[in-house]
Amino acid sequence: MTDISLNLVELGHFAAYLAFAVALVQALAPAAARFTGAPALAWLSVRAATLVFVLTSIGGLILMHAFVVGNFSVLYVAQHSNSLLPLMYKITALWGGHEGSLYLWLWILTLYTLAVVWYGRRRYAEHLPLIAAVQGWLMVGFLGLILFLSNPFERLIPAAADGNDLNPLLQDPGMAFHPPMLYLGYVGFSVPFAFAITALITKWRSELWIGLIRRWALIAWGFLTTGILLGSWWAYYELGWGGYWAWDPVENASFMPWLLGTALVHSIAVQDRRRMLHAWNIFLVISTFSLSLLGTFLVRSGVLSSVHAFAVDPGRGAYILTFMVIVLTVSFGIFMARGRYQQAEEAITSWLSRESLFVWNNVLFTVACAVVMLGTLYPLALDALTGDKITVGAPYFNTVMVPVFLIVLLLMGVGYLVPWRKANREKLGRRLLAPVVVGIAGAALLATIFGPVHWTGPVALGLVLLALTSHLTDYARAVGVRRAQHNEPVARAMVRTVTGNRRHYGGMVVHMGILVIALGLMGSGLFRLERAVTMAPGDVLEIGAEKLRFDGVRQFREANYVAIQARFTLLNSGRAVFPERRRYPRQEAPMTETGIDSTPLRDVYAVLADPAPDERWGVHVYLNPLVQFIWIGGGIVLLGLTLTLSGRRRARAPVVAAVVPEPAK
Amino acid sequence: MHRLFLLAFLLVAAPAQADVATEDPLERQTLDIAKDLRCAVCQNQPVSESNADLARDMRVIIREQLKQGKSREEIVQYFVDRYGDYVLMNPPKHGSGFLLWLLPLAVFGVLAGSGFMYLRHRRREALPSAPALSPEDHALVEKARAEDEQV
Repeated sequence: MTDISLNLVELGHFAAYLAFAVALVQALAPAAARFTGAPALAWLSVRAATLVFVLTSIGGLILMHAFVVGNFSVLYVAQHSNSLLPLMYKITALWGGHEGSLYLWLWILTLYTLAVVWYGRRRYAEHLPLIAAVQGWLMVGFLGLILFLSNPFERLIPAAADGNDLNPLLQDPGMAFHPPMLYLGYVGFSVPFAFAITALITKWRSELWIGLIRRWALIAWGFLTTGILLGSWWAYYELGWGGYWAWDPVENASFMPWLLGTALVHSIAVQDRRRMLHAWNIFLVISTFSLSLLGTFLVRSGVLSSVHAFAVDPGRGAYILTFMVIVLTVSFGIFMARGRYQQAEEAITSWLSRESLFVWNNVLFTVACAVVMLGTLYPLALDALTGDKITVGAPYFNTVMVPVFLIVLLLMGVGYLVPWRKANREKLGRRLLAPVVVGIAGAALLATIFGPVHWTGPVALGLVLLALTSHLTDYARAVGVRRAQHNEPVARAMVRTVTGNRRHYGGMVVHMGILVIALGLMGSGLFRLERAVTMAPGDVLEIGAEKLRFDGVRQFREANYVAIQARFTLLNSGRAVFPERRRYPRQEAPMTETGIDSTPLRDVYAVLADPAPDERWGVHVYLNPLVQFIWIGGGIVLLGLTLTLSGRRRARAPVVAAVVPEPAK
Repeated sequence: MHRLFLLAFLLVAAPAQADVATEDPLERQTLDIAKDLRCAVCQNQPVSESNADLARDMRVIIREQLKQGKSREEIVQYFVDRYGDYVLMNPPKHGSGFLLWLLPLAVFGVLAGSGFMYLRHRRREALPSAPALSPEDHALVEKARAEDEQV
């Protein structure tokens, strides 16, 4: 077994080197075609894309195999796996560390490139070589880092008898799939990026390609959203502090591209529909992808744990920084030189129009992104420049970001009622009446029932209700129009309205999901209860309306850890939760596993803290209202996204036909 | 196996007197203060949530000082004197942290201003030259676009 797998690893290593060579061909082919005057040469980069994917997959699968069979002569495997690890975590350990994560990034990049090439053969064949070449340059950059400075194929001779364990925190389904989702999001933004660079170089008319990147941007956004939600879900049930988002730099690193990506999917809609914001869209595309790179590197370079960790491995740090600088300089350089060829064709007609609200949407998301960036990078810069250390923690971000998000909610609520081009003030006022009344009523209700509450509570609830009502009235109006036109029963009209314009209503469903998430954030953020107590078996703890009885603890042993498990019975429902403390052989500190009982309206969240004398235990219990709304809302968002992606480009001919009588056939 | 486990629990849970566990008010006060302090050896974790030894020690110190009747401000200042502003979860509003509170406002101002200028500028400049397409033209364009999409 050993001999074969030893040779296999070298084969994988060799495949990665070959991939590097082929990626270079892919990157250079269009330029070569131009300078040698042999246009056929350019197509080489399209062909290379398939080959690079195959080679990268060979390397990736061989690495995976090394993990599965426990080939500890591979340094990376020896560092991040262990023979006792369950099979699933042996596989996911592939991206449990620095080297493997970068390899996964690259692998996904080759996959996207393959998809772009395959999808584009008929649709945008003439631009394909250059698009593939831009992707090729990114591959070259990553492969260089992987092969020369961060090599997962590096050998450990003599081989270790057994591996170090995978970090127990990562031995969890949420964390196993969080990185691939996140990377599918990050790397997905490389596709619009490649399109934008190609368009700038070839002066490809914006109208012809903006519609093509819409899907890719939405897909990337969907994966990024999923990745972020999976990450916070994991943090919630695994880390045991009762929350799901700590504004940790690692979280912020993924949130920045999400914020700008959100601005992007909105402004693409404006350009697609109203032919404006061309240059701004290209700026957003480049910035979003750059932030994806920044996110990867912030987390992967070690710069976050301390500025000095970055300097411990100067080669890697310098490479990463250089790569970032090159990508930024080249792409923004091309943008400056060629941006003027991507000109808007139409103008804003009124302050009070949907496109103008979209502009404000973009302003706010850009502000949000800039502020997160500021809070994340400022302490690093301060430390590097002056040696002063400060902490920018959750309270800062909450203070600064919540108002921005509240304004976003307001725009979302008003946006659906404001038509494109120019709104009629009177009509708008009439349409706004019901949503505003509902919003104010909800806010007042919350303020009176729940007594003194932070001002953001009623405001957020009011805005969520306003948005919800305005979305629903917009939908109801469309259903009404359809019923009148087609003489259909209500149910059919409701379905046909949605299926007839999936793009629009998919977006609306996404908004609904976001509103549900907003309710979850508000409920759990403002109305959380917590208790830190010491309990003896039989003791009962009251928290909110819940009563928990501590039943005692037991010990047990699993393949790769020893656990102490407690049992708490929820006296109201008879159900029980089982928080644990686990000791893994290679870890010093015990790990906590939370015990959570979920209903849609609240989570009871129990954590076993330290033992106390007389069989007593320290216990932390949280009552988190509406946390489930966050995950449910995430599901709705993905549902809406699928709906929107399943729709064809909105055909506008019927709208014209509605103005001009259709000629008889 | 599972049944045995339940049985074991029932046996343990037998004690007749069910005490109501109440939170020690001092503990709550301690945690409330600990929330705003950073565990200096952890990655971005407040003292209230960390299991690190240092965080435990800091919680003990907070508790002791509360017992001595010190106020929240005094206790926080005690830690700032020893660890510097770094120990505050919220950056200070003076000195090196001041910019951090000012810049978001500046960013907002600049970007909102740009948005405003864009809307005003684009509205004025482009109105006369806005192409006046007839509905028929629109239909033609749409047809071409639809075909383009289907290819």
